[in-house]
Amino acid sequence: MVHGELGVPGWLESFAHLAEHHDMIVPSLPGFGRSTRPDWIMGIHDLAAWVTWFARDVDLRTPMNVIGCSLGGWVAAEIATVAPQFFNKMVLVGAMGIKPERGEIFDYFLEGGLTGLRRAFHRPEQSSEFMRYWGKEWTAEEADIVEQHREMTCRIAWKPYMHSLTLRHLLPGVVTPTLLVWGREDAIAPLECGELYQRSIPRSRLAVIENCGHMPEMEKPAEFTKLVENFLAA
Amino acid sequence: MARKFFFFSEMGYNAYPLEALEQYGYSALLFPNSIFDPDKARDLWQMFLREHEYASEMGFDGSVCNEHHNNVLSMQESVNISAAVISQRIKGTIALIGNPLPIHDNPVRVAEEIAMLDLISGGRIISGFVRGTGIEQLSTNANPAYNRERFEEAFALIKKTWTVPGPFRWEGKHYHLRVVNPWQLPLQKPHPPIWAAGILSPETIRWAARQRITYLVLGSALDATATCRDIYHEAAKEDGWAPTPEHLGYLIHTCVLDTDEEAYEMGRHHYGGASVIGRSGGVAASALTAGTGSAGATGGGPHPEWMAPPGYMSKQAKTGNMARERRMSEGSYDAATRAGLIVTGSPKTIIQKFKHIIDRTDPGYLTFWAREGKKPHEATMRGIELLGTEVIPALQEHQSALVTGKEVTPWPQ
Repeated sequence: MVHGELGVPGWLESFAHLAEHHDMIVPSLPGFGRSTRPDWIMGIHDLAAWVTWFARDVDLRTPMNVIGCSLGGWVAAEIATVAPQFFNKMVLVGAMGIKPERGEIFDYFLEGGLTGLRRAFHRPEQSSEFMRYWGKEWTAEEADIVEQHREMTCRIAWKPYMHSLTLRHLLPGVVTPTLLVWGREDAIAPLECGELYQRSIPRSRLAVIENCGHMPEMEKPAEFTKLVENFLAA
Repeated sequence: MARKFFFFSEMGYNAYPLEALEQYGYSALLFPNSIFDPDKARDLWQMFLREHEYASEMGFDGSVCNEHHNNVLSMQESVNISAAVISQRIKGTIALIGNPLPIHDNPVRVAEEIAMLDLISGGRIISGFVRGTGIEQLSTNANPAYNRERFEEAFALIKKTWTVPGPFRWEGKHYHLRVVNPWQLPLQKPHPPIWAAGILSPETIRWAARQRITYLVLGSALDATATCRDIYHEAAKEDGWAPTPEHLGYLIHTCVLDTDEEAYEMGRHHYGGASVIGRSGGVAASALTAGTGSAGATGGGPHPEWMAPPGYMSKQAKTGNMARERRMSEGSYDAATRAGLIVTGSPKTIIQKFKHIIDRTDPGYLTFWAREGKKPHEATMRGIELLGTEVIPALQEHQSALVTGKEVTPWPQ
């Protein structure tokens, strides 16, 4: 699992479900969580390379399955464009990387951290995961982590904002079977981005989850897990 | 060097309707520019430039110009253009406070423009360099996470452009130029005096001390300014040298009129705080207060993230002592005047207050921020006249208690 710009607040329900049948590995990317931040990391390709180093360092067997969420989906897609042997199957969830033609990717940096987190959920108060991790008043440490993640995201995705000008042209060369999972009500990366991904990756399918925002892995864990399990088992 | 007295105004677009502020809750960044009226701006420019000219006529040693973007706070979206125009209207020094370096992808262009200013003005330029506020980063799309790195690299490149013969190549981390070889180089050698300016960031102060350049404190309250001076002196001592008063500049909201009472009331135009709408790094005021200025406006309100986008402010700057002092000065107008954030009075009162200020901080450059917000032109001109003809002459010979060891002039009650 390659997480996104909002980080991984804990061992999510969906991780626990998936871990019943798979080895579930969720590294904190450089600059996120407690991972250190090398100052030389400036772009998405640096994170992509790091993910492959991580896999080597912990002896993960390739090809492996990957779930990439949001910014992490963009990282996974970039790996797939240059290292077709790396992934067995790829799940991209609300992935960044492609600029929508009609809508816009939500600009986290014109709003505060809590606004972005709330907007990533269709109904934050009804999501037990949102409420558990972000729903109460934050401690100073929790506020610091949110700012840390925002700063790291700036280093990677400031401009062009949250997209690559060339990824769309590289994706037709991706051979990895890909499941795209999107919340219909994704108010961060519009559903249109999922459609553009699906049109660009040859062996891909788009699954839309109803009443769901930008983070199906947190907001709809049961549906999300089922979609991923079925895809991996097929 | 004798103490220098300068005149400053943000030259803000003060013709915005307050109802628009009430509606949006902020007056910067996303405040729509459909509200901007070019006819009003044209007239404001003429008024503001006349005020600078009058300050020169009244004996001020120079004028100060600034730069902001997407903000009613200041119409100076190019400090170099302001300086160019003002240099032709006044006799003295023109201090740019300054060029926000991180917002430029080509720092050599900045070096070229300052060189032109220095040549055209006959060597009267002081070149201040700043990081720009969060709003400058967002409005120019300069990555805030790299703000300090970009500032330091641009600074190094500009200094090299001025002092090392071209052509040379610069392949840095943030800036890449294959042929640096401008045919405009500054008149002053090795280059115009360089200033750093800031709103209470300890890192910037220490950096300025290591560069041995003047640090200009931008409109902070008196205690905070004294703290800035201490930080600068400590950093200089660690670096093995002793600063002179010329290493400190102090920009301070000043409203002088014939009586204390008139000046106090008119001083409200300098004040932009304590509005229920809040302050988003720009000018924001409720129709309930007459305050339309910037004093006390340090980024509270509905979008504090605009003044501090990710990575822009260190944790120390956000939460340390100086942040506390900044917040303390964001109280009422009265609290702001008591903290020395806005200094008002008759000439006699102002002279005593500034003797106190000089006694406590000994700034080599004292800049009177003597026009702000919707303050009427007549009151501004009267204030400039009183400053030039009565206050500055009285302060010219005043030596700081920090130098003489005498008792600090008491703040008038």
